[in-house]
Amino acid sequence: MSAAVDTNASYLTATRGWKSWAYTLDHKRIGMMYLFGILGALLLGGAFALLVRAELWSPGHTIAGKDAYNKFFTLHGAVMVFLVIIPGLPAALGNMILPIQLGAPDVAFPKLNLTSFYLWVVGALLLLVAVFTGGLDTGWTFYTPYSLQTQTAVIPAVLGAFVLGFSSIFTGLNFLVTIHKFRPKAMGWFQMPLNLWALYSTALMQVLATPVLGITLLLLFVERFMHIGIFDPNLGGDPVLFQHFFWFYSHPAVYIMIVPAMGVISEIMTTFSRKPIFGYRFIAYSSIALALFSFLVWGHHMFVSGQSKLANMVFSALTFSVGIPSAIKVFNWVSTLYKGDIRLQTPMLYALSFLVMFTIGGLTGIFLAILSIDVQLHDTYFVVAHFHYVMMGSTLIAFVGALHYWWPKVTGKMYPERVARVAAVGVFIGFNLTFLPQFVMGSRGMPRRYWDYDPEFQIFHRLSTVGAFLLGVSLFGVVCYLMWSLKYGTKAPQNPWGGTTLEWDAPTPPTVFNFPEPPEIHELYNYDDLEELPEGGWVRKPSSGAKSSGGH
Amino acid sequence: MSQPSHDDHHDDHGHQSRFIQHHYDDAQHQFDSGKLGIWFFLVQEILFFSALFVAYILYRHHHPEIYAYAHHYLDVKWGAINTAVLIVSSLSAAWAVRCAQLAQRRGLIACLVITIVCALGFLGIKTIEYSHKVHEHILWGKYFDPCVASAGNHLLNKGNNCPGVKTSIVWDAKAGKAKSGCLEGDYDHNPDEAGVQGKCEVVEVVGANRRPIEACEEKAGGHGPAKFPCYELALNRHVCPAGPAAMVLYGDHGHHGGAIEVKCEAVPAPAAPADAFADPTHVPSTGERTFAQKKAKTKHELAHEFASGAPPEHTNMFFSIYFAMTGLHGIHVLVGVFIFIWLLWRAIRGDFTPDYFGPIDYAALYWHLVDLIWIFLFPLLYLIH
Repeated sequence: MSAAVDTNASYLTATRGWKSWAYTLDHKRIGMMYLFGILGALLLGGAFALLVRAELWSPGHTIAGKDAYNKFFTLHGAVMVFLVIIPGLPAALGNMILPIQLGAPDVAFPKLNLTSFYLWVVGALLLLVAVFTGGLDTGWTFYTPYSLQTQTAVIPAVLGAFVLGFSSIFTGLNFLVTIHKFRPKAMGWFQMPLNLWALYSTALMQVLATPVLGITLLLLFVERFMHIGIFDPNLGGDPVLFQHFFWFYSHPAVYIMIVPAMGVISEIMTTFSRKPIFGYRFIAYSSIALALFSFLVWGHHMFVSGQSKLANMVFSALTFSVGIPSAIKVFNWVSTLYKGDIRLQTPMLYALSFLVMFTIGGLTGIFLAILSIDVQLHDTYFVVAHFHYVMMGSTLIAFVGALHYWWPKVTGKMYPERVARVAAVGVFIGFNLTFLPQFVMGSRGMPRRYWDYDPEFQIFHRLSTVGAFLLGVSLFGVVCYLMWSLKYGTKAPQNPWGGTTLEWDAPTPPTVFNFPEPPEIHELYNYDDLEELPEGGWVRKPSSGAKSSGGH
Repeated sequence: MSQPSHDDHHDDHGHQSRFIQHHYDDAQHQFDSGKLGIWFFLVQEILFFSALFVAYILYRHHHPEIYAYAHHYLDVKWGAINTAVLIVSSLSAAWAVRCAQLAQRRGLIACLVITIVCALGFLGIKTIEYSHKVHEHILWGKYFDPCVASAGNHLLNKGNNCPGVKTSIVWDAKAGKAKSGCLEGDYDHNPDEAGVQGKCEVVEVVGANRRPIEACEEKAGGHGPAKFPCYELALNRHVCPAGPAAMVLYGDHGHHGGAIEVKCEAVPAPAAPADAFADPTHVPSTGERTFAQKKAKTKHELAHEFASGAPPEHTNMFFSIYFAMTGLHGIHVLVGVFIFIWLLWRAIRGDFTPDYFGPIDYAALYWHLVDLIWIFLFPLLYLIH
């Protein structure tokens, strides 16, 4: 091996050359590589989305035929779900920030971490193979029996999702062990930032739920390849069994998407209100509650699949209760804002957008939990709007907000604030213009995944399409100015926002092992310790020194 | 870590293993973290198998007759040997950990070798079992086709898409005569070509897809070389009254060489349990068995059914689940073999010391889980019916 690494250099420049990145064991570099991959996948999934919306501008054929349209919406869903939203916050930002927030030099298993990244790459390549060898038209949900019969590239897509599942499992496993074994003595469970509670809860779900997806996809592959018959009614199998297996993972999966977003929002809310988070323990416990409850409600995706009335009623009741921990968080965030010293920089704009859109998304989920209503709204645009409000309007918004929040820390550069605010407003307007009309047309009967529609829905589709392009342009703009800032951004101060969690005490950008010496554990969310500098940024007041190790 | 950092921080013990990674405080920290990690991994492995167990439970609940019938195809002897082999290998794996802890390099190597040998033995026995099934076409889903005749063995009915005559004749190729069985199904009426008392029809004894069991050159269409004479069976239609009901007439097609009496003792194929609610006008009387209550059959009855009846419909699903579960388990055993070979190589190289034996410990834990899963599979698939 070569000469020793300067452990006081920035992790970005300490070693050079492509091999130092390709073989890195540094969680920050791995997170950065994930980020670039995920942003690339976001653009690909976004392109499919714009193809869908362009086709729906008019009824019937607009830019593509029915089969092509089926492939557009399927690939949009598959790419976004498996390559962007599920890995996004944990793999990219979690990897970059978790050890630093914990005060640790790295994750527990750095080599496993790199393996997770390469599994993501392999999974992404397999999905790309599917895109280029005939596409996929089953819907991202791969329902049987159609997925057994279609001649499209189901096998590479299913194998890709299988591999991505293991990437997710290993990341979750790594985070769980890191949080258990690498917390400093002075940081007990209830001295951890809420972002870490959220990542812990997410990791639990990743480890427990994803294997079920793995076996489901494996069975689907074996079914298609070897006609094992487990899902094929002609051979004695049961197609609805596939739905049970699939949703047993995919419901916790949506909580894997939203819980880390909630963790980030907790951090942003408190920092930009200059106030401790309201109800810390409630938020912490609600993250764990979501992890557990999420396993109990999968049947609400199957109310009209033919399962028994009893099952329907039980799942409906459980789905109501799974809304409670989320609601607790919303109340706590609002209470954090109350009488806070609110700073409206870009991360906070995204957090406030999240608050609005998560409320809408969450409440419409409760509407769908009502059996009599779901029978009408199942497979309509109402459902599409609901899940976009939570997956995109909440998770993706939180991801973009988190990106802005931690961008100065991990890159050492500031993004352009004014441009960023304009883009944030564009995202908010574009998003709501895209999806609010979809609630209306869904409730009026417009089915989802349909290429053609009655003229009465055209105005809604057109509004939605306009919104989608505005949203797309704004998000593309975000990616552009972030890349621009890497070269031309101003140098970032160590603590631009006045955050109190440990990452803001690390150098900007962090050194190779995060901290030149083990960090002091200060009281969490205590903003009195910090003062603002005239040239921008915050520092700890000289008088605020040692940690009060009481408070356990 | 990839960085070859100066060991300026943690190297308090001069003889700390070089495998203690830099971001850990000490060897114990690394071991504890790895231990927690492998336990989380095992939990997810259990969930990985879970869907198959769920499928097993569901199909067993809905179609118990399939399980009652199909488990006869499995040889308990091999399953039991495999169970013993895996338990021994778990012992040797645990012993290997102990040897590593006590710095007994030779013991460690011996135990690892025993584990690998046992694992390979397991895979060998599985190969024997699988190859038998492949030969008999007792496969999964679409490919379940037990009508393929093999000399001297039972001709069993196909449960799915089985053309041709359904027959449950047990044919003794050596003696050249049928041992037992019964004919059912459609066939041509040819009352004049009799030879039996009473009304009878002529039929050919054929196996799968209407191929004759033993080829007859005179057969219309000429299927294969003539080795043995053709057979015709004359018997009463719709089979199986008490007493002699069938005659086997043997000889060349069109000639009679002789007649053998076939005693018909078959029992009709075990159908799905009668659904008391299928007939809406039927009022179940007190004590009448409804769908969920199936009268337990004695071993003799079951053996009888097996020997002479048609497989219940969808028997192929049993084998789909059997192959999926044992196949996935077998893949895990194979992966375990590679892991232990790698550990063996490292042990020979001298990597493991009393303060660094984590990989042996973790691999042994993984191996115990693989063993545990088999201990569930064996009774579920082989023993209970």
